[in-house]
Amino acid sequence: MRGLQLPLSQTQKVRLQKALERLESLSSKVNSDASVTIADSISVNYEDGVLKGHGTAELNGEVVATVCGVVERVNKLVYVRALRSRYKPEVGDIVVGRVIEVAQKRWRLDINFNQDAVLMLSSMNLPDGIQRRRTALDELNMRSVFEENDVVCAEVRGFQHDGLQLQARSQKYGKLKRGQLLRVAPYLVKRQKQHFHHLEQYGVDLILGCNGFVWVGEHIEAKDDMIEEQADQSDSQVSRPGKNAVSLEEQEQNCTALETRKYICRTANAIRVLSTLGFSITLEIIKETVNLSLTVNLDINEMLGSEFCVLVAEREAERRSSNKKKR
Amino acid sequence: MEYVSPEGLRLDGRRPMEMRQIRAEIGAVAKADGSAVFEMGNTKVIAAVYGPREVQNKSQLIGDQALVRCEYSMANFSTGDRRRKQKGDRRSTEISLVIRQTMEACIMTHLMPRSQIDIYVQVLQADGGTRCACINAATLALADAGIPMRDLVTSCSAGYLNSTPLLDLNYVEDSAGGPDVTVGILPKLDKVTLFQMDSKLPIDILDNVMQLAIEGCKAVANYIREILLENTKELEYRRGV
Amino acid sequence: MLHNKSFVKKTKAGKVMKQVREHYLRDDIYCGAPFCKVCDTSAARLSDSASTVLVLDTNVVLNQIDLLENPAIDDVVVLSIVLEEVKNKNMAVYNRIRAICSNSLRKFFVFSNEYHRDTYVKEMSGETKNDRNDRAIRVATQWYQSHLGDAVKVLLITNDKENKRKATEEGIRAETVESYVKSLARSDLLDLVVRPSSEDVDMEEVEDLRPSKRKVIYTEHKPMSEITSGLHRGIYHQGKLRVNRYNPFEAYVGSESIGDEITIYGRTNMNRAFDGDIVAVELLPQDQWREEKSLSIACDEDEDEDEDVHLAPSSADDAPRTIPQQGSIGETNPISSRPSGCVVGIIKRNWHSYCGSLEPMPMPAGSGGVAHALFVSKDRRIPKIRIQTRQLENLLDKRIIVAVDSWDRQSRYPSGHYVRTIGEIGDRDTESEVVLIENDINSRPFSSQVLACLPPLPWSVSSVDLTNPIRQDLRNLRVFSVDPPGCRDIDDALHCTALPNGNFEVGVHIADVTNFVHPGTPLDEEAAQRGTSVYLVERRIDMLPKPLTEDICSLRADVERLAFSVIWEMTPEADILSTKYTKSVIKSSAALSYVEAQARMDDSRLMDPVTTDLRNMNSLAKKMRLRRIEKGALTLASAEVKFQIDTETHDPLDIGMYQIREANQMVEEFMLAANVSVAEQILRSFPSCSLLRRHPTPTREMLEPLLRTAAVIGLHLDVTSSKALADSLDHAVGDDPYFNKLIRILATRCMTQAVYFCSGDLSPPEYHHYGLAAPLYTHFTSPIRRYADVIVHRLLAASLGIFKLPPIFRDRPQLTSISDNLNYRHRNAQMAGRASVELHTLIYFRNRPTDTEARIVKIRSNGFIVFVPKYGIEGPVYLIPRTEKGGGEWYVDEQQQKIKKMDGSLSYSILQPVTIHMEVVEPQPHRPKLQLTLI
Repeated sequence: MRGLQLPLSQTQKVRLQKALERLESLSSKVNSDASVTIADSISVNYEDGVLKGHGTAELNGEVVATVCGVVERVNKLVYVRALRSRYKPEVGDIVVGRVIEVAQKRWRLDINFNQDAVLMLSSMNLPDGIQRRRTALDELNMRSVFEENDVVCAEVRGFQHDGLQLQARSQKYGKLKRGQLLRVAPYLVKRQKQHFHHLEQYGVDLILGCNGFVWVGEHIEAKDDMIEEQADQSDSQVSRPGKNAVSLEEQEQNCTALETRKYICRTANAIRVLSTLGFSITLEIIKETVNLSLTVNLDINEMLGSEFCVLVAEREAERRSSNKKKR
Repeated sequence: MEYVSPEGLRLDGRRPMEMRQIRAEIGAVAKADGSAVFEMGNTKVIAAVYGPREVQNKSQLIGDQALVRCEYSMANFSTGDRRRKQKGDRRSTEISLVIRQTMEACIMTHLMPRSQIDIYVQVLQADGGTRCACINAATLALADAGIPMRDLVTSCSAGYLNSTPLLDLNYVEDSAGGPDVTVGILPKLDKVTLFQMDSKLPIDILDNVMQLAIEGCKAVANYIREILLENTKELEYRRGV
Repeated sequence: MLHNKSFVKKTKAGKVMKQVREHYLRDDIYCGAPFCKVCDTSAARLSDSASTVLVLDTNVVLNQIDLLENPAIDDVVVLSIVLEEVKNKNMAVYNRIRAICSNSLRKFFVFSNEYHRDTYVKEMSGETKNDRNDRAIRVATQWYQSHLGDAVKVLLITNDKENKRKATEEGIRAETVESYVKSLARSDLLDLVVRPSSEDVDMEEVEDLRPSKRKVIYTEHKPMSEITSGLHRGIYHQGKLRVNRYNPFEAYVGSESIGDEITIYGRTNMNRAFDGDIVAVELLPQDQWREEKSLSIACDEDEDEDEDVHLAPSSADDAPRTIPQQGSIGETNPISSRPSGCVVGIIKRNWHSYCGSLEPMPMPAGSGGVAHALFVSKDRRIPKIRIQTRQLENLLDKRIIVAVDSWDRQSRYPSGHYVRTIGEIGDRDTESEVVLIENDINSRPFSSQVLACLPPLPWSVSSVDLTNPIRQDLRNLRVFSVDPPGCRDIDDALHCTALPNGNFEVGVHIADVTNFVHPGTPLDEEAAQRGTSVYLVERRIDMLPKPLTEDICSLRADVERLAFSVIWEMTPEADILSTKYTKSVIKSSAALSYVEAQARMDDSRLMDPVTTDLRNMNSLAKKMRLRRIEKGALTLASAEVKFQIDTETHDPLDIGMYQIREANQMVEEFMLAANVSVAEQILRSFPSCSLLRRHPTPTREMLEPLLRTAAVIGLHLDVTSSKALADSLDHAVGDDPYFNKLIRILATRCMTQAVYFCSGDLSPPEYHHYGLAAPLYTHFTSPIRRYADVIVHRLLAASLGIFKLPPIFRDRPQLTSISDNLNYRHRNAQMAGRASVELHTLIYFRNRPTDTEARIVKIRSNGFIVFVPKYGIEGPVYLIPRTEKGGGEWYVDEQQQKIKKMDGSLSYSILQPVTIHMEVVEPQPHRPKLQLTLI
């Protein structure tokens, strides 16, 4: 098992053990049987015909797993859902990435995939917002849009020319500033309707990238109105350039409020704890964890200590069992 | 020198067909995609896998499969006399190559074209059989990284001293200068992927020694499988639904 | 099943290193008692109804091994910790205790207490290794007692007072060896018990019988730590002590640290070291370096040991050590440049048991009680040994074996204990037995397991052998053998057929011993152990059992026999055109003796086919011999003698030089050729694991004595190469006929013997055989009497693809140890043969005082050493009676190698013929010796 790299006292050990045991007992029996390791054979009903999906291979007429994970069956399809592995992109996924390289008409982004993802200049909404051919001048000014090491939010467009293409054709995508980037294992982030969240009470924005990159940053108003994106377009077209120029200066002068920064850190640490414990990372759980830290009146730095870790595990066990009862 | 007493016990109290205690731990390196520590008795190695990721040196890029790289090293403190070992000496280059080739043979590289997989193994404590321990650790780390593989690779050594085939030689037995066979197998496919021997051994004895080593590999495989399954189950239940 | 315990060990190898070793503790180690209900009894060794089980302490095994070998001691548990300690302290004892443990007749069980979960003890802080081991022994004893229950008495046998006390405290029954043996009520066992040295004895048990002798004679040995640091700082020098075979008061230590030999004079300087001990030596100040004492014939005031008459040595290995002179002989310094030193400590003892007899002494008053006696070893290098016995009257006139136990500073002699009796002194069988024991020769009859490997008798060539495709049918060839008269183990035969093209087909057929001796069988192991047959004057100790030696393998006349053949096609000029090796079936048509063969060749009237073949072969052999000599082969000579033995009494009737005929040389020539051919063949196939024979080139220093002698008589010898030496030896013709042979004998003596070696251990230039001037040589032609030939047969068969190479050839260290053993056995067999001849010479001259001619071979300050060619013996002749000291009448002229009377009236020079009188005298009863006096 993956050991925690935390010094635990004897009682903490017992408590953690107990919580984990509880979690184990709560997980459905069906699933635990479905866990396979490499080269385990998967029992299938051959009469119905089998479609072998990801993580499987055929060996001497048997279907065997090629990765460690959980067997999933959808009608005839049998595949193994790998747990710990790199991000497997799907079209439309919202991802957070970091710019590695600025190249010919494109940016290369690290999004925790087998290769770097490509964000073409043409798949970007330009700062002025006008749909037009990209000129040579635009190419020269690429660095003014994203530089190396910038954190960018985008959407998976698909595979073209042996590479993964991204696009950022909306205001909600783009450069992320004033916050923290966290890397968690991709299997902990579930694909959901909403990946952009605004935690109003803390003034914090949260982007759960499908690739396991999680952004926690200061809330930015402009991005709020994504529903009426279309209507606002004309307004933004006019106001943006000017507003941008002003606000840059403004923002640099009055940086993020201390309170907000603290909340950013608190949320980030909550995610870190969840990630080390291997709990799935959803808005609900993050919120609960942050709340927990506030109710027990912990400092931000203490959140990474062993006591809070045990506490979170206990709370999670509690939560899941109550969920189950409700059902 | 008497390596097996007439009572049938080796210097460390094992019988000729017995392995040392093995122990494995997955996830020892937080930042790696996959990692593991593997111990065979006092031999302890750590392995970390990075990737599949973007190919660093574009000239090495392979269009239809992944590039596998491996680096083996020994920690300065791994042996009795602590001395600085320069990187890339002949021995570690050779072992790196052996591990790379062995692992490459079972990784389904065609599923990850245009990417690269880096395997780093380091010996933390050396007490004989480091090669085998490294391969076992690398297998675990690869499996932890979720890299698709045809089968696990497990490895074990066997030797022939005092006219007795011995399983899993420790340092003292290894430095006796007798024949030392390192075998790596694919347990499910029941195939040998690695076979190394530096000295001469008559063919019928080789057969016995090799069979013994294969038995050792199978025992390692069972253990590794157990560890992996346990790890998978744990990840799954912790994540919750 | 496995329990893991890692512990840290520190070793000092120049620097401190931390070593971590795993140590697995198990619960599947059984107690070895067949009546045990808990344990697995399949490997149990103790007797079914053992009422007492003995657990031995280390010191008991180390000191009382002779007692343990006695079958009266049984039901013994030997702990692995004890074995380990014994192994570290004394390998020889370890091998002996191991042999007892593996002997199925003895009830000794090895209990691996170190690996048992309940009996492993961890070293406590502040506890010495010794204490920890003692505690382990006690813990194991206690475990045994509680494991076996009250029905069995578990007894710890220890001579360590402290250990015994602690054991008693812990409720363990413990006894000393003496009290245990006494409780057995067997007086014969008591002699085997080693008298404990003073520190271990309880005062009330053994009273000191010789209080007056308590004065310190030797300086104390330095403690080990001091020795180690001394060695490091270069104050002391480490090396193996070798006592001069001919002067027990002089010893040499070959030291690597100063690259020279350190000479040690006198017992005081030797400080209780024995021959073969590894010692630490301190150099004496240079002004005490003594001039070579070897110039005088040894004599010491308190012991009458002197040079005996002995057989003339045949090589440098068994000649008295001659010290290489440094600088020219003319300018002798008053102070020798050779370092001398004294022993300060003994790093490793080489004690074992020795053959000899008790010094005559009057019976003590109360006979039957304990008596002290002095034992004199046959081996003159060993000092007298003090023993204690209860059966003095039985032992006085016997040859006995005695083992050494200790030597403390207060006693002049080491103390030991009686082991067993061989027989009456002077009795020929006893003395022969002594010769065998002294040379470590196994003369026991073959065991039943060995004999079980023999094919059923009567044996004959079967149809299976004839149809075997690997075996060629050569029965149609006219094969015959030529051997010494009365030879029963004929291992070589020859044939020679004229081919139509004028060439000759010559075949050498060697008994196919490997067809019967298969690798890994008890027969093979026994033969490998014996290494060679030993030829004594009156008997032969076979390497292989008699049916094989004299019948199945022996290539006798008119019977079909299996052989391994080397067949050449040769031109009439004796050039080898082709060589063929094959297993074969032959039928010898005649078994000739050398005399017969010679007579046939010489008798010009005889024209029968065998004689023709003989003559053809002889002419080929002569050409081969000539070519060999041209290449530089040496014709060496030795003073071999031949006895005529009375068939009834086995007493020697006559004695004479061994005569060498042309027929001998002919057979020898073909055997040499076969050996060379086979050596080439096996080395080609197995470059790293062939068994070859080499003869090292003698160094200039080794030839020094020869050159010095030659210089004196005005002879110039060129020793730059074997060829040059051979030529100059040929030219060394003096006015008397024996002169050349004498020079050759002296030359032979300067060289070391040829040795077996494994080809992987040396580089090809070192394979050279100096004496034969052959780049490669091996032994192939006498597999019945030499094990080396058996190995070579197997190699040859494997190189032909007939048989698989046995796995042992892959194991280089083992192959090396085999060749070492063969060299050791070979040398011992020669020494035994010589000792036997010496013995018989003595018997021969007992009633025959003789006057004969002799040659002076060495000049000494008080006489000279003469060599008697007729009887092949060498011995001292004293000009000055030995009781007189100094004797200013004679002086030695080093340069001229002469001894002169002061007034110049008489002088004797080297190689000068003299007439001497030989007579057997008995200065002490039962100690006959041959005395030479000048007439």
